Amino acid sequence: MRKTIAGLILIAAGVGLGLALVHPKAPPTGSMLRARLNADIASSDPGMKRDANTDAVLLHVVEGLVALREDGSVGPMLASGWTVSPDGRTYRFALRRGIRFHNGAPLSSADVKWSLDRYLAPDSHWRCKSDLSAKGIAAVTVINTPDPDTVDIVLDRPAPLFLATLARLDCGGTGITHRASVGPDGTWLYPIGTGPFRWGEWRHNQYVDLVKYDGYRPLPGGTDGNAGGKHALVERVRFSVIPDGSAASAALLRGSLDVLDALAPNELGTIAGAPGIMQDSAMSADFYGILLQTGAPVLRDVRLRRALSLSLDVAALTRVVTHGTGVPDSSPIPAANAFYGAAERVLVKRDLATARALVKASGYRGEPIELMTSHSPPEMYDAAILVQAMARDAGINIQIVSLDWATQFARYSSGDYQATMFGFSARMDASQMFGVLIGDRATDPRKVWNSPQAIDLLHQSVVTGDRAQRQQIFDQLDAHFRSEVPAIVLYNTRRVTALRTPVTGYRSWSAQTQRLWNVGLGNSR
Amino acid sequence: MISYVIRRLLLAVPTLIIVALMVFFLVRLIPGDPAQIMLGEGADPSAVAALHAELGLDKPVYVQFATWLRHVVSGDLGTSITTGEPVSTLLITRAETTGVVVLISVGLATLIAIAAGTVAAWRRGGKLDLAVMSGASLILAVPSFWLGLLLLLVFGVWLHWLPVVGYIPFSEDPWSAMLFLILPIATLTISESGVLIRMMRSSAIDVLRLDYVTHARAKGLAERTVLSRHVFPNAFAPTLTLVGLTLGRLFGGIAVIETVFTLPGLGRLMVTGVLSRDYPVVQGCLLFTAVIYVVVNLVVDLLYPLFDPRVTVE
Repeated sequence: MRKTIAGLILIAAGVGLGLALVHPKAPPTGSMLRARLNADIASSDPGMKRDANTDAVLLHVVEGLVALREDGSVGPMLASGWTVSPDGRTYRFALRRGIRFHNGAPLSSADVKWSLDRYLAPDSHWRCKSDLSAKGIAAVTVINTPDPDTVDIVLDRPAPLFLATLARLDCGGTGITHRASVGPDGTWLYPIGTGPFRWGEWRHNQYVDLVKYDGYRPLPGGTDGNAGGKHALVERVRFSVIPDGSAASAALLRGSLDVLDALAPNELGTIAGAPGIMQDSAMSADFYGILLQTGAPVLRDVRLRRALSLSLDVAALTRVVTHGTGVPDSSPIPAANAFYGAAERVLVKRDLATARALVKASGYRGEPIELMTSHSPPEMYDAAILVQAMARDAGINIQIVSLDWATQFARYSSGDYQATMFGFSARMDASQMFGVLIGDRATDPRKVWNSPQAIDLLHQSVVTGDRAQRQQIFDQLDAHFRSEVPAIVLYNTRRVTALRTPVTGYRSWSAQTQRLWNVGLGNSR
Repeated sequence: MISYVIRRLLLAVPTLIIVALMVFFLVRLIPGDPAQIMLGEGADPSAVAALHAELGLDKPVYVQFATWLRHVVSGDLGTSITTGEPVSTLLITRAETTGVVVLISVGLATLIAIAAGTVAAWRRGGKLDLAVMSGASLILAVPSFWLGLLLLLVFGVWLHWLPVVGYIPFSEDPWSAMLFLILPIATLTISESGVLIRMMRSSAIDVLRLDYVTHARAKGLAERTVLSRHVFPNAFAPTLTLVGLTLGRLFGGIAVIETVFTLPGLGRLMVTGVLSRDYPVVQGCLLFTAVIYVVVNLVVDLLYPLFDPRVTVE
């Protein structure tokens, strides 16, 4: 028996040694930075079929005329500068000289016009097409190219948010691509942009490889949102698709990943204190909360909606659900937003006595209120459980309905629910954050707040350029929101990124995308 | 024999048509709109409607079904709504990964089950039997994803023996591919061996009680010979049925293992397809699984007479 055990140990040791000495095929030559995506990208076409992962990857490859800065303002990117006509309708962009696409072709105004025409074409699925149409902030009427280095964009009306819209991440930064990005039949091939990395290889559901673009002409300065100076400090970036959070943590600990972005709160314990791992984080310009159908029979009474809001201990809920990383918030304007002022900072405190009084006054008799939720992200389900328990203390009977994300999304989109847990990803302008709630329910069932006053204030916030005036408008909207309670904001998340110690220069930011330019590996692999 | 195979294959046609019909309509009963999911939260409703029409999802369901069935008959399973790739290409590339993992795992699990189950039956009631049965019960109680994560932690993170994420196709570099597949194969082998061991033991106990085994022993045959020549062939037939069912099930359903080990296999393809409501992919995967079930069951039926002479293919 002892001989057998000794033999088995010897064999195991031999196998282990063999495996330890043999490594899988080495990655392509040069240093490679390895980051994680929790799901595959939706396409390689900026702003078309997209999600947050798609935006994050493609913004390494393409750049727009302008780009979002760290503070949410708009900075130059492919345009060295711009002027606005006195009537506010014509924007003249001067292109930076010496910019070349990844295929070596020089950037010209004709390329900008080609890209913008493609985005605005009738058959385009560009995310921001409707924003730049008559029913959006302003319609683009004409795009002129007076010379190869100048582009004029004419709008049908003044639009102070025009540049911010062009720079939006979900618009793919309105990335300018070369016409060789599409085939002769007009089908999309792959992005030929001007970014610090060029398109490498996309293996569906496995990885996306980007390769350093040697001909990149950086702006001066350092990392500044999606603007600023960008330098590819590694030869190659690999975004590996690892859906499972635990597997991703294991990969980081093992050294198979360098950057693990969007670390789930329940994985923090695994990573915290691990040797060779450091963390970087930033508050996200997002919000998570409960959307309420104000037209639904029970929730029609604003007193009951207020009672529900007052029954919640938002600070405690945030602490538990986000494992102490999130920030409790009662305003649709996130704490990371520049318009998060004194009015927005006020947190709705739990007040059970008032909540019970409001419940009684509303005539509520304990009818079940269906609260829809999902496990995407898992914290949403935890939050729903806590909301149910806290609301019960005020005599409100919440029943949780847990669905898969696609079903929840379909019901949210058609307004087919009483109440739903929901999260809105980072939007850098406060108008966009209110915009996800405000609108005409008859034409867009996703909107939960169709008060004429709110619609009017939102419109004012879009057509007003002055910062102080906008702050006033947002303060009014915030007060109105707290009074009508079409939704209950719970918290903003903190985006935590875990990094292996050789990684240098990584900076998280409120827009929730990972930026791997200006990021290096201390001891280059 | 050949006529039997042809008859069985022809009989499979109505089965597959019923499967296709059910799959097509059941998938569409799930709430959720692929166009909406593709364009994401906040997309303009008119853009969603336009994409809906572009994908042909605005046509009546029976028209969509007729179109799909016509294409399937001509060998075209359609294209993925989300990636635009032909579904048949996706199935072939993903089946390579899943096929390697499943075939090796089930093969190893069967070998383990034969050895452990037969020995446990032979030493029924003894310490060896207790150890084997306890092990099998433990395996049955442990979820495969937990076991996978545990192996990942031990052999990947702690010992650094094996890679924890990634995949290299077999066709590109078989040796590197094997390194990535060791942990998933080990996980699946252990997970599947539990039920097979129990089945093998149970069948072997039944056979050990039969007269011809007593007769063989009375003749003075060595125990090894009794077990290998008389007990194993007769006890293995029920286990073989289970192996066939297991193969069919696993070909379409190792999504959990594939997710934990980031393998681009059929299971993950189907789960991603369901989550994104990629109808052609889900339909293709389920149809493929049904075909695998039919083929595996046919192969098992053809193998049956090898182990049980009382059974003939006819």
